[in-house]
Amino acid sequence: MTRARLTALTLALTLLASPAMAQQSGIPRGFELERRGDYAGAATVYRTVLASRPADLAALLGLERVLLPLNQTAAILPEVRAALAADPKNPGIYGVALRAWASADQPDSIRATAERWAAAAPGDETPYREWGAAALSRRDRPGALEAFRLGRQRLGRPDALAAEMAQLAGADGDFGTASREWLATIRRLPGYHEVAVNALAPTPERLRDEVLGIIADDESFSARRLEAELLAEWGRPGDGLGRLEHALPNDKPQALGALRSFVEQLGSPRRPEALRARARALELIADRSDDAAAARARLEAAQAYSAAGDRDAASRLLAQMGDSPASPGDLPPGAASTLITVLAGEGKLDEAARRLDELSPALDAGDRADLRRALVRGYVKAGDLDRAQAVLGSDSTVDGLALHGWLRLYRGDVAGALAAFKLAGPFAGDRAEATRRTALLALLQPIEADTLPGLGRAMLALEQGDTSRATTALERVGGNLPPAKGGAEANLLAGRLAASAGDTTAAERLLRVAAVPEAPATAPAAELALGELLLARQRTADGIAQLEHLILTYPRSVLVPQARRLLDQARGAVPRT
Amino acid sequence: MRRREFLARAGAGALALSPLGRGGLPRWTGSPPWLLVPMDDAQSDHLKAYGLAFRMLERGGRAEWFLNYRGGSFLLPADPATTRDAALAGISTEPLDDGTLVRIRGEIAGGNMDAVPLEKAPKVAVYAPPNAAPWDDAVTMALNYAGIKFEKIWDPQVIGQGLKAYDWLHLHHEDFTGQYSKFFLNYAGAPWLVDMVERNRATARSLGFSNVPAEKRAVAVAIAQYVERGGFLFAMCTATETLDLALAADGVDIAASYADGTPMAPDASARMRWEHALAFQNATLELSPTVPVYSDIDGHQVNSIERRQPLGSFTLFNFSAKIDPVATMLVQNHRQVIPDFYGLTTSFTRHTLKSSVTVLADEPGAPWVKYIHGERGQGTWTFFGGHDPEDPQHQIGDAPTDLSLHPHSPGYRLILNNVLFPAAKKKELKT
Repeated sequence: MTRARLTALTLALTLLASPAMAQQSGIPRGFELERRGDYAGAATVYRTVLASRPADLAALLGLERVLLPLNQTAAILPEVRAALAADPKNPGIYGVALRAWASADQPDSIRATAERWAAAAPGDETPYREWGAAALSRRDRPGALEAFRLGRQRLGRPDALAAEMAQLAGADGDFGTASREWLATIRRLPGYHEVAVNALAPTPERLRDEVLGIIADDESFSARRLEAELLAEWGRPGDGLGRLEHALPNDKPQALGALRSFVEQLGSPRRPEALRARARALELIADRSDDAAAARARLEAAQAYSAAGDRDAASRLLAQMGDSPASPGDLPPGAASTLITVLAGEGKLDEAARRLDELSPALDAGDRADLRRALVRGYVKAGDLDRAQAVLGSDSTVDGLALHGWLRLYRGDVAGALAAFKLAGPFAGDRAEATRRTALLALLQPIEADTLPGLGRAMLALEQGDTSRATTALERVGGNLPPAKGGAEANLLAGRLAASAGDTTAAERLLRVAAVPEAPATAPAAELALGELLLARQRTADGIAQLEHLILTYPRSVLVPQARRLLDQARGAVPRT
Repeated sequence: MRRREFLARAGAGALALSPLGRGGLPRWTGSPPWLLVPMDDAQSDHLKAYGLAFRMLERGGRAEWFLNYRGGSFLLPADPATTRDAALAGISTEPLDDGTLVRIRGEIAGGNMDAVPLEKAPKVAVYAPPNAAPWDDAVTMALNYAGIKFEKIWDPQVIGQGLKAYDWLHLHHEDFTGQYSKFFLNYAGAPWLVDMVERNRATARSLGFSNVPAEKRAVAVAIAQYVERGGFLFAMCTATETLDLALAADGVDIAASYADGTPMAPDASARMRWEHALAFQNATLELSPTVPVYSDIDGHQVNSIERRQPLGSFTLFNFSAKIDPVATMLVQNHRQVIPDFYGLTTSFTRHTLKSSVTVLADEPGAPWVKYIHGERGQGTWTFFGGHDPEDPQHQIGDAPTDLSLHPHSPGYRLILNNVLFPAAKKKELKT
C-alpha cells in the first residue's frame, strides 16, 4: 500500500469513527477505551467523571481496573480520599480504599480505613474480611490474622470470619485449626461444604487422624458429611459412607443432597471398595426417591456392585427390580439398557435375552445392536460360543465384525480372526478396545498356521478373567511356535499377564524368553517390559542394564524414547511423574 | 582467566588433538576417528551433550570445544565408550574423518571462532542444605539431567576449608545475609520456614557463631577466598545479590532483628564496604524487614508488588572468540535471545555494577542486565539472575521442572557452559 493511500484510508477511518466516539462520554466511553486497551485514556475519562461526581463507584472501580495494567495502582489514592469524603458509608469505596493502601504499602492507613468502615457498618464482617485480604495482598499474614481475630472479637461471634481463618490456617499447614474453622463455617453456611472438603483434602497423611478426630468431636450432620467425604477422598470410602448413613436425617431433601454430594465426590471409581460405597449410596438414594428415579438409582447401584465383583448384591437389586410394579417397558430407555447390560454382565443371560426381546420394539436399531453385543459378550464369558454366535447372527457393523473376529479367535481360527479384524478396521469399539485389537494383531500376524486351538483357549480364558490359566496356555503356545512366527509375541503377552497378576518371577522368565534377537519385532517391547519390571522390583542396576541393552541393540525402535525416559528416571536425572 | 595464558594453552591443545598435529588421541581403525557433537538445531539433546563431553574427560580423554562453530560444538574422539554414551543418551553426533576435520579447522581459523581444548573434568560442588529438595535448584537439575557428577556441601564444609577439594562451586538461592530470604514475617508459622530457621540456627550454634547472619557472612568470606585462590564460582538467583551484600557488610548490621536480635543499621547503605564485593557497588539497601527485597541491585523486585517489573527477554552478547575466549565460552548457545525468568533476584541493575564486570547478556533498553562475569584474584565468578529458566514465574511449591521436556533449553545451556568452562583450565587450583 502506498503512503498516500494509507494516509487517505487512515483519514477516512478517523472520520468514520469520530462521530461514534464523540457520542460516547463518561463511563461508557471509559469502558470502550478500556476494551481497546487504551488504559491511560480510560483513566483520564474516569478521573473526569470523578472530578464532578467523586463518589461514583463505577468510575472509581474503572479507575482501579485501568491503573493495574499501568502499574500505578497506588495513584488512585487522591480519588479514593475524595470519594470517602463524599460518601463515607459506601462499602464499595472502602473496598477500593483498602486495596489502594495495600498497593501503597501503608499498613497503618489500611488499618485506619478498615476501622472507619467497621464503625460505619457495625455488625458487618466485610470490613474485617477486606482488611485481611488487603494485608494478604502484601503477603502480610500476621496482619491478616490480626484483622480476622479483631473482627471476631468485636462482632462477638465465635464463628465470624471462620472461612477466612480456615484458609489462612490451611495455607500455613495448620490443618487442625483449619478443620475447626471449617466446621464452624459449614455449621452456619452449609453452602461452603464443598469448599471445606477441597480445602482439607490436601491434609498431609500424618495429620489426617488429628483432623478426623477434631471432626468426629462435632456431632452435627454437617460434620458427618465433611467426615464422610474426606474419608472417601483419603481412600476410605466405605468408612465414610458408614458414618454418613448412620447420621442421615429424616428430612428427605437434606439426606438426598448429602448422598448425592458423596456420590459426586467418589466420581467414577475403579477400586472395589469405592465401587461398593457408590453402589450403597445409590441404594440409599433409591430408598428415598420416587419410582422412576428409584429404579434408575437401583440399576446404577447394581452396575456398581457388579463392577465391584459383588454379584450377590447386584442380583439382590435386580430381583428388587423384578418385584417392582414398574415393568421394564415402563423404564426410561437408558435405564432399560442398563438393566439388560447388568443382567448380561451378571451371567443372567436368558433373563437378559428375554428382556431384550420385550424391549426391542421400543429401542432404536443402534441401542438394540449394542445390547445384543452385550449379550454376546455375556455368552462368551459363560463359555457358550455357540449361543454367542447365534445371538450375533450376521451383524455386519464394524463392532459386529470385531466381535466375529473375537469369536473366531476363541475357536482357534487364526486366519478367520485376522480377516474379521481387518474388516472391522481401527474404528470398532472404544479406544481401549481398538488398542487391544491392534496389540492382538501383532501376535496373530506372524503366525503361519491357520488354526491354533491352544491360542483360542488361552484368549478365552483371558476374556473369562482367568489370568493364570491364560498365562499357562499362552506359554504353551509360545513354546510350540518359532520365536519370529508368533512364539515371542505369545511369551510377551504371557509375561505381561504374569506381571499384572503379581507373579514377577514368572513374568521375568517369560519376558526373557520373548526378548530374543530371533524376533526383532518383538524383542524391544519385551526388553522394555523387562526393564520396567526390574525397576519396579527395585533391581535398579539390572533394570538400567536392560534398558541400555534395548537402546543400543534396537536404536531405531519406536520404543527407544520411552526407554530413555525410564532410564533417566531410574538414574534420578528427571523427577518421577 | 588470564587471557594470554589461556590462548597459549588453547593453541597447544588444538595442536595436540589435530590430525595434523603431533601425538594426539588413539586412532580407531575402520571408522572415522572423530565425533562432532553439533550444538546448533541439528542437536537432539543440547543439555545431555555437555554431560557427554564431561564424562569423556572423566574417563581421562580430551576434547575440544569449537566456540561459535555450529552453536558451540564439541569434538570428541570416536572411541567405543563415547559412541555408546551418545547412543544411550540420544545425543546427535556426526562422524568426522581427518579430511573433514581439517576443513572445519580451516573454517574456524578464518572466522570469529576458536577451538578450545578441554583437558580435565572439574570437580563440582553444589552448596545446598542437607535436606534440600533435588528439584529446587536449576543447576542441580541440569547436572542430574546431563549426568554430571557433583557433591553437595554446606556451611560446615565451607567454614572447615572443604572448598579446597573442588574446582567449581555453585550457589543457588541461599540468603547470605542470614535473613531466611526475608520470608520470616510473611510466612511466619509455615512448616518449611520453621524447618529452615531451626536448621540454620542449629548450624550457626554448632560452628560457634552467635547468630545466623554472622555465620553466613563467614561462609560468604570463605567463598570469596576460594575464588581469590583460583576457584570457579557460579551463582544464581538470590545467592548472587546476598553474597555480595554479605561481603560488603563488613562491620555493618544489615540483618533484621528477627535474624540477629538487633535492627538493621539505618545508615547501612552508606557504610557498606563495596571493595569487598565481587560484582556490585553503591547499592541502596531495603530497610523494611517485611519487604522481601534486599536492595536495588535486583532490577525486577519480584516480591514487591508495587516495584515488580514485567519479564522481557535477554540477549546474549557476541564476543571475539580468539580474543575473549572465556566470555565466548560462557555465551555459547543456539539462541541469542532468551525469554527472561523470575527469581528472588532476577537481574542486576546497571548502576550497581562495578566497572570491571563483563556483561554477558542484557535486556536491551532496560536498566538491568541478566548475566555477568568477572575475576577475583586467581579465580573467576559468574552470576546469572533468576531461579529456573524453564519456570519463569517460579512459586514456592511449584511442581519440579522435568528437563526431558526441555532438552534444548537455551537458558539451561548457559548454566552448563559454566560447568564445562573450568575444564579448559590446565593448572591445578592454588589452594
